Amino acid sequence: MPMTDALLSSVEQLFSLATLVSMMIGVMAGVVAAAIPGFTITMAIVLTLPVTFTMPPLQGVATMLAVYVGGGSGGLISAALLGIPGTPSAVATTFDAYPMARKGEPGRALALGIWASFFGALISAVVLIIAAPPLAMIAVKLGPWEYFSLILFAVTVVASLVGKSILKGLMMSLLGLFVATVGQDPMMGVPRFTFGVDVLAAGIPFLVVLIGIFAVSQLASEVENPTALQRGESLVSGKLHFRPLAVMREVLSRPGNLLRSSMLGVVIGAVPGAGGSIANLIAYDQAKRASKTPERFGTGIADGVVASESGNSATAGGGLIPMIALGIPGSAVDAVLMAALMVQGVSVGPRLIMDSADLVYGMFLAMFLAAGMVLAFCLISMRWFLRITEIPKSIIVPVVLVCCAVGALALNNRITDLYLLIGVGLVGYLLAKLDYPLAPLVLGVILGPIAETNLRRALMADEDWTLFFTRPISAGLLILAVLSVVFTVRRLLQQRKIART
Amino acid sequence: MNDATDTASPPGREASSERGKALANVIFNAVLAALFVGLFVQAGDLPSSMWEPLGAGSFPRLILGALVIFNLAIVVQSAMALRQTDQETSVGAGRWFAQRRLAFATLAAFCVYALLMPWLGFALASLLFLLAVQVILGARRGRRLLIACLVAAVFGLGLYALFSHVFLISLPPGRLW
Repeated sequence: MPMTDALLSSVEQLFSLATLVSMMIGVMAGVVAAAIPGFTITMAIVLTLPVTFTMPPLQGVATMLAVYVGGGSGGLISAALLGIPGTPSAVATTFDAYPMARKGEPGRALALGIWASFFGALISAVVLIIAAPPLAMIAVKLGPWEYFSLILFAVTVVASLVGKSILKGLMMSLLGLFVATVGQDPMMGVPRFTFGVDVLAAGIPFLVVLIGIFAVSQLASEVENPTALQRGESLVSGKLHFRPLAVMREVLSRPGNLLRSSMLGVVIGAVPGAGGSIANLIAYDQAKRASKTPERFGTGIADGVVASESGNSATAGGGLIPMIALGIPGSAVDAVLMAALMVQGVSVGPRLIMDSADLVYGMFLAMFLAAGMVLAFCLISMRWFLRITEIPKSIIVPVVLVCCAVGALALNNRITDLYLLIGVGLVGYLLAKLDYPLAPLVLGVILGPIAETNLRRALMADEDWTLFFTRPISAGLLILAVLSVVFTVRRLLQQRKIART
Repeated sequence: MNDATDTASPPGREASSERGKALANVIFNAVLAALFVGLFVQAGDLPSSMWEPLGAGSFPRLILGALVIFNLAIVVQSAMALRQTDQETSVGAGRWFAQRRLAFATLAAFCVYALLMPWLGFALASLLFLLAVQVILGARRGRRLLIACLVAAVFGLGLYALFSHVFLISLPPGRLW
């Protein structure tokens, strides 16, 4: 049977020594990176990408997934020990993990978070395996009309979920779509907007845009405030005591909370644009509403830690659902994963699961494997976590900037890519200061060629453009796109009204 | 500083920052709108195709057209916000940059690093960059300076060795030697 063949082949590739070692390094890198305040998971994954160029496709993606899953747990460390979320996905973790740590139970707070992350990642991997194949079966039947409408929907959802102004969000999505048109056009190969510049002939290199937007501009805003540069005062002192098995039972004794938070994480992760940074807050809020003792939330109770950490870890599997089934990344991180596959020459879309079944099964297995590795690594190395969070930003920022330079140079070894990186980083920094959200730009860049190809294919098949509105699925998606904008405008207007009164 | 100025200054600063942001948006988006109009016109020269109704230029023109509209909308929105803010408060662009001097200094050092790299090579340029930025960010003396030197040496030379020997990704060796 081809399915078992693919599964066996993926097991063989995944359980090779090289892959296991690179995944383990990936897990460590992800945990450590996310533990350092100011170093986000996206940054870590973007910087891992160039390293995977020389690996076979599955090893490369498995390594990046390891960083991703590791990052989902790492943010917990500084959240619990310093009260500072290491990544935006760990904001709600500070609400209960930090008070618990201050009350003299830092070991319990960490272990709770680690186990909750593990189960969250596990549950999301199960949902991914169940949901992605049938969704891909449906997606293969979609025509170019539906596909174009789907991308339009994804773009409007991203723009409305991120940032304070939907106008700015949509502007950034469009800017991303435009940036993607530079270079050869996808159907005829005509050069566009290259202005005779050689570097632009093959298009603006996506990896450079990614690193510039998510790493360089982010790092620049990290060093803005001179007084906040000094970190390294650990706010929690004393020894860490662990009872990993007792804490595991403690987590498992909350099946309702664990399942609800994980499923919320999966669903939020699957929506384009939303991700861990939203999931942890919503999971926490829902756990509080469902609790019999909501007033105890925020005082350092186990339920709060479990909700936030399982919620943010579950977004990893959720985000992979639209990427594997539809070829549409659910978040910036998934866009990077998709870019990694594209660099390897794998075409990502609904046919991925049929054409490269071994790769997809390998990704599923890698999720489980990574979750287990994170658990093992965290439980063993918890004692040194305090030291990681003590590294000052004056060391982190320049070192990561050098890594950014390596990333930009890795693809073509062109010094012009480095200049481009600085340009993108500076523009990204100024855009962020003017309240422009940066995630829609990146999704726009990756979705641009898919949108254009499908639009043109649709009109080639039939010149009648009203088909976009008369084919039911396409029409439904367009209505959803309009609704997402309308609701966001309404919500923002209400917020403004409340702010004024 | 007495209590009165203490309590009065935060909202004042807030207003000037809002005003500065609105003004920056008006200028920035007006420039972008003009740029996209130019590109829109240029995209008209792109060839059409006999095989399909849309040529190479249609999709970019669609996007550019929408970009012009959105940028003009943001200009109008920001201009309205600008009129609502207090006319008296200064925009404070100078102070805005001064407050973020470390960020700009770091980015400037990154520029110099990129310009020097073809000549000095990745290893040496990285070493100097790492040291310079750590000094800029406060590692000026004693133990911290020692750590900075150590970090610069380890990562500058270490990353070069790691990528060229383990990952087989070639980095600029330098033109001077």
